[in-house]
Amino acid sequence: MSTRNAICPNCGAEIRFRWSGAVQTTCDYCKSILVRNDINLALVGKAADLPIDISPIQIGTEGIFTDKPFQVIGRIVYRYDLGTWNEWHLYFSDGSNGWLSDAQAEYAISFQNSFTDPPPAPAELHRGMVMAQHNVPLYLTVITEAMYETTEGELPFTSYDKEKCHFADFRTGDGRFGTLDYSENPPLLFLGQFVEYDSLKLKNVKEFEGWPTP
Amino acid sequence: MNPAAPRKGFVPKPKALNCPSCGSQIELRALGAAAGVICSYCSSTIDATNPQLQIIGRWQAAMTIEPAIPLGSRGKLKGVLWETIGFQQRGINVEGTNYFWREYVLWNPYQGFRYLSEYDNHWNFVTPLQSLPSDSGPSKVFAGESYRQFQTARAYTWFVVGEFPWMVQVGEAVDTADYVNPPKMLSSESTGNEVAWSQGEYMLGTDIWQTFQVKTPCPPPIGVYSNQPSPYAGRVRKAWLFYGAMCALLFFLMVFFAILAPSKTVLNKSYVVNPASAGEKSFVSDIFTLEGKNDNVQVGLNADIANQWVYFSMALINEETGQAFDFGREVSYYSGSDSDGSWTEGGRTDDVLLPNIPGGRYYLRIEPETDPAVAGGLTSSIPFRVHIIRGIPYYLRYFLGMFLLLIPPIWTSIRAAAFEGKRWAESDTSGSTSSSSSSEDDE
Amino acid sequence: MSKLYMAYSMLVAGGLAVSSITGYSPFTPYDKVDGVPKSVRNNPGAYRSHYAGHARYFGGK
Repeated sequence: MSTRNAICPNCGAEIRFRWSGAVQTTCDYCKSILVRNDINLALVGKAADLPIDISPIQIGTEGIFTDKPFQVIGRIVYRYDLGTWNEWHLYFSDGSNGWLSDAQAEYAISFQNSFTDPPPAPAELHRGMVMAQHNVPLYLTVITEAMYETTEGELPFTSYDKEKCHFADFRTGDGRFGTLDYSENPPLLFLGQFVEYDSLKLKNVKEFEGWPTP
Repeated sequence: MNPAAPRKGFVPKPKALNCPSCGSQIELRALGAAAGVICSYCSSTIDATNPQLQIIGRWQAAMTIEPAIPLGSRGKLKGVLWETIGFQQRGINVEGTNYFWREYVLWNPYQGFRYLSEYDNHWNFVTPLQSLPSDSGPSKVFAGESYRQFQTARAYTWFVVGEFPWMVQVGEAVDTADYVNPPKMLSSESTGNEVAWSQGEYMLGTDIWQTFQVKTPCPPPIGVYSNQPSPYAGRVRKAWLFYGAMCALLFFLMVFFAILAPSKTVLNKSYVVNPASAGEKSFVSDIFTLEGKNDNVQVGLNADIANQWVYFSMALINEETGQAFDFGREVSYYSGSDSDGSWTEGGRTDDVLLPNIPGGRYYLRIEPETDPAVAGGLTSSIPFRVHIIRGIPYYLRYFLGMFLLLIPPIWTSIRAAAFEGKRWAESDTSGSTSSSSSSEDDE
Repeated sequence: MSKLYMAYSMLVAGGLAVSSITGYSPFTPYDKVDGVPKSVRNNPGAYRSHYAGHARYFGGK
C-alpha cells in the first residue's frame, strides 16, 4: 500500500492516501471533495454532512474476510425511500478492492465482477425473475432508486458528478447476493455474500455511548 | 492516520427528540438507528430517517398495552447485549375471533436489529434472514432443514410504541406464513411486492425474564406453541430402541435357559383302559428318577379316541418322601359332519406342566375314567400313551414379559402423540399427522 | 431414559430369569398331598385322588 501525501487545495491540510488507485477522496478537515489528476488534487465540491451516523464502521476500521485482511478507506452513503445505507470501500492486503454494505447493521461484502451472461435491461426487471451469473442463480428481490447522500474517503471512481442511481438486488438460497448498478451503461455487476458481524473480526470500530465495544 | 484530522470514533447519545407534533421529549434508545419512532404521548409516527423529522401519521390506537418487558431493558442473549427499543401488538382474525401476539424490537449497535415475539407466554428470538428458503412441496427448506407449514394469516398492527427499523404505518397489514421445525420456525411477511423472511428460535419465558431482569412475575405459558420443542423429542425413539434391546435380552435368556433345560424323557409308555371292565381302573407306572433339586415336569397324554372323552386323575408320587402331586386332565375328541361340512372338537392329546417338583424317585398313579354314556357301546380297549419329560424350557412367560415391557414405550408414544396433537390443533393446515389422530383413539 | 422405565424393565427381565432358574410359577395345576404310604404302589386303588369322580361334574357332548 503506497501512501502519497498531498495538500488539500481548500484548507491546506495534509491528505494521505492509503490506496494508490484512489480516484476521488475527501478532506477530513474541510470536507472538500477532491479528484486526483496527474499533478495535484482538484477541488470539485463539498461533501454533505453525514446524516445521523450510527454505523459502527468508520474509515480506518480493519477486518478480515475469507482470510484476507482489509482496511476501510472510503464510504458512500446512499439515500432511498426508506432511509440510508452505507457502502464502505475496502482495500485488501492483496491489493484488491471490495465493498462492505451496511444497511441497519446487516452486513454484506461484494466485489465487482464481469458478466458471464448478458445483464437484463432496466425495462426487463421484474420481481421473481432469475438471473444467472458465474453459474449462480440469482432471484430478484428488490429494485431501489437511490441518491448519493454523501461520500467520505477514497473511492475508485468519481461520485461528485453523479446524483441518482438505480440498483437491482438479487438473492440466493444460501446467503449470497448480487447487485446490478445501473448508474453506468453497461451496468456494473457486484457479487458477494451476507456476513455476520463477528465473522469480520472488525477492529477500530466506533464506540457507542453506554454500550460495550465488542 | 493523519493526526490533523479528528477521528469521529465515538457515537454519543443523541439529544432527546422533541416530538414535532406534541413537543414531548422522546428518548432515542437506538441512538438514531431507528427509522420509525412513535411518540408514546401523542402516538405520532415520526420518520426518523429524515432530519426534518417528518410526521407520517398519528396512531389511533384501539388499545394501549404496557409491554411486559419495559422498553430500555437490556439483557445478554447469545453472548450479545440487547436493548428493547420498540414494542408492538399484532393480531389475526380467525373465524371472528382476534388472536393477539406481541413483539419487541431488540437493538445492538454492532449486531443490528432482532425481535422477541410472544404469544400466550411462549417466546421466540427472531432473526431476519437474508437467504431465501426453498420450496419442498408445501414445506420450506432452509439450511438443510425442513419446516412444515403451520399457519397463514393476515396480521394487523393494533398498538405500537418506541422505535422500529422501518417506518411503522397506521393500520399496517401484512400477509404472514409460519413454518415450523421445533424448536425453530420460519416466518414470512409479505407486503405487496416484498417478502421478508425471518427465523425464530423458541425460548422459555423464565429465561427471558432472567435475561432482562423483569421484576414482575413471569406468567406461565398456555398450551403448546407451534415451534415449542416436545419434551418427548427423542424419548419415543429411545424407548422403542430400549424395548428392542430388552426383547433381545429376553430372547437370549429364553434360549439360554432352554438350552440348559434337561428336557429328559423319564417315561414314555403305552397303556390301555377298558371301559367295559368293572374292576379298579387305577394303576401305577414304573418308578423313574427326576433329576435336579427342583424343576418342572411335563405330563403328556395321547389317547386314541373318537367321539368320547377320557378323564385321567393322576398323582405324581415321590416313592421316598410320600409326597404326591395330585391333578386331573381330560382328553376329549368329537367329530362329525353337518350341513356346514365336517367339524372336530377337542383333541386327542393333552399336556400339563407341573412346576416346582423336587428331585427324587417317583411314579405316576393313573386312574382313567371313561364316558359312561359310551361305555355300553364301545367295549374295545382304549390305548393311550403317557409321556413324562423332566425340565422342559419355558417360552410363554418370556412372551408375556415382552408384552409387559410394551407398556412404557406405548405410554411414551401416546404422550408424545398427545403433545403433537395439541400443537397441531392450533394450526390452520389440515396437517393433522397420524400420530395426532391416534391420540384421539383409546388404546 | 426414565429411571422408572429402566427399573421396571430390569424387574421384568430379572423376574423372568429368576423364575426360569427356580421354576417358580404362581399357577400350580396340582394339589400337594403328603404322607402317601408306600403301600399305594401295590394297591393303587387305595389312594383317593382329589380329582377322581369327574363323571359327577360334567361329560362331553
